[in-house]
Amino acid sequence: MANNETDIKIVAFLCNWCTFTAADLAGTSRLKYAPNIRIVKVMCSSRIEPVFILKALLDGADGVLIGGCAPGDCHYSKGNFYARRKIALAKTLAESAGLDSDRIRLSWIPASEGPKFAHVVNEFTEHIKNLGYNPARREVYI
Amino acid sequence: MNKGLWIEGPIKKGILDFLNGLLADQKIKAVLMPAKNKGGDSYAWFLMEKNGMLDSADPAPPVMTTQGANVVSYLTKKGPVWEKTAVLLRPCEYRAVIELAKIKQVDLTNLVLISFDCPGAFPLEKYINGDPKKLDEIFDTCLEKQTELEGARNVCTICHRFSGTGADIEIGLIGGKGEGFWLVPGSRQGEELIEGVAGSKTDNLDVRENAISERTILQETKRNNMLDSFQETVMGPENLLNTLSSCINCHNCSRVCPICFCRECYFDSKALSSEADNILQRAQRKGGLRLPPDLLLFHLGRMTHMSLSCVSCGACEDACPADVPVSMLFALAGRNTQAVFEYEPGRSQDEAVPHTVFKFEELKDFETPYIKEYSKEQ
Repeated sequence: MANNETDIKIVAFLCNWCTFTAADLAGTSRLKYAPNIRIVKVMCSSRIEPVFILKALLDGADGVLIGGCAPGDCHYSKGNFYARRKIALAKTLAESAGLDSDRIRLSWIPASEGPKFAHVVNEFTEHIKNLGYNPARREVYI
Repeated sequence: MNKGLWIEGPIKKGILDFLNGLLADQKIKAVLMPAKNKGGDSYAWFLMEKNGMLDSADPAPPVMTTQGANVVSYLTKKGPVWEKTAVLLRPCEYRAVIELAKIKQVDLTNLVLISFDCPGAFPLEKYINGDPKKLDEIFDTCLEKQTELEGARNVCTICHRFSGTGADIEIGLIGGKGEGFWLVPGSRQGEELIEGVAGSKTDNLDVRENAISERTILQETKRNNMLDSFQETVMGPENLLNTLSSCINCHNCSRVCPICFCRECYFDSKALSSEADNILQRAQRKGGLRLPPDLLLFHLGRMTHMSLSCVSCGACEDACPADVPVSMLFALAGRNTQAVFEYEPGRSQDEAVPHTVFKFEELKDFETPYIKEYSKEQ
C-alpha cells in the first residue's frame, strides 16, 4: 500500500547557513525534488531540540529530516557537534519508546550542494514511502 | 591518605554522635538532614546547629520525602553557604547533588556531603498509610544488617549504586555485620573532619570493598534483567500509551524531580498551547483528540531533558497519584541514553553532562551520509 502514498509529510529542520542555502540553491537551479517536505528554517542545527523532533513525529509527521553544515564547517564553529549529540539522544529515546527512529534522518549538506540536497530529499522521501504512514498520524490517545 | 575509621556500636546513634562531635568542635557549623516532623508522622529536612539538634533527627530515614538534592539546591540557589555545613544524603540524593552542581543549580562551596550504604526506601504512600513504627523497625534492622529491604520501592530493589562512594565522607555499613560502621573519607575535606574522631584506624577495607563489588554485580544483573523485561511491556506507542494511560497530566513527576530544575517548564509554558481553532484542526486530522493533549510528548520530552542525568531516585513515582510506573520508565530511558554517551550521572564532578560537550569524531551511527541508497534495502 505504501508505495502509492503521495501525501507523505516530512518535516525538515534546516540550518540557515548551509542546508537551507543548499535548498535555496536547488530552487534557483530549478532542480526538481519530491514535494513532500515542509521546511522549518532554524539559525543553527543545534537549535533543534529533541522535543521538536518528537513533537513532529507524535503529531503525525511521517519523517523528520535534520540538515546542518558538515562537521567542521559550522557557521558558529561547533553548533553541529552539539546537534549531533541531540539527535543521537532523540533517536535513542524514540527507539526506547518503540517509535521508529528510522524516520529521523540527520544529514550534513553544505551550502554549495544544491543537487545533493535534492538527492537527499528524494532518497529520504522514497525511504519514508517504503515505511508507510506514521501510525501516530491517526492515534487519538497521544 | 587516611583510609577510614571503624566506630563500633549502634549505627544511627553513632552517626549522630559523630555529627554532634563535629558541631561541638566547631568543625562544622550546621547539619542538614532529615528528622521526624513534630507530629511524628513523617520526615522532613531540617537545618540544625549545635544547640538545635532535634531528638528525632534521623540520618537514614525509611522513606524519601523530599529529594535531598532539591533541598540542597534550595539552600544554595542564591549563593554558597558561608560556613561549613554537613549534608546527609542517600547515595541517589548525593548523585543528584553532583548533577545539579554541574548545571550550576547547587553551589558545593563549604558543603560537606555525607552519604551511607542505603538499603532502599519504602514507598511514601505505604509509609504514610501503614504502620510507621513497624516500618521504622524493619528499616533499621535492614540498615544494620544490610539485608534486602522487603517492600521497598521498585526502583530501590534494582539499585546498583547503593553505596555512598564519592561523597566527602562515606558511612560504610556493608561488611560491618551490624556491629558498627566505617567513616571513609572521600576527599581532603572529609579527611580533615574525620581526624581526631574517636575510633580505631583501619588500613584495610577489603571486607567492605569485596562485599560492595559482589553486591554491585548482583544488582547490575538484576537491574538489567528487570529493565529488559520492563522494556518489552512498554515498547511501541501502543504499549507505552497503555502504561501511561492512567496519567492525569498533573506534572508531579517533573515537579519533584531534582534534575528537572527549570523554573519555567517548557511543558507548562504557553509554547504548547494554541487556539481552539488549531486544536480542532488537529482533532479533525486525527479523527479525534485526547485533551489535554501531548501526554506522550510530555513524558518523552521530559526524558530528553533529564534522562541523561536521571539517578533513579524514584521521587517521581512517590509523587505520582495515579500509580504510573514512572521511575522504571525513566530508569529505562536513562539506561539507554546514558549508554550512548558512556555517561553515568553523579559518578564524578569532572565528568561534564553530555549535551554540554562533544568530540569531533563520534556518534557516526546517528548521521546518514549523503548517498545511502535506501531503495536497495527493499
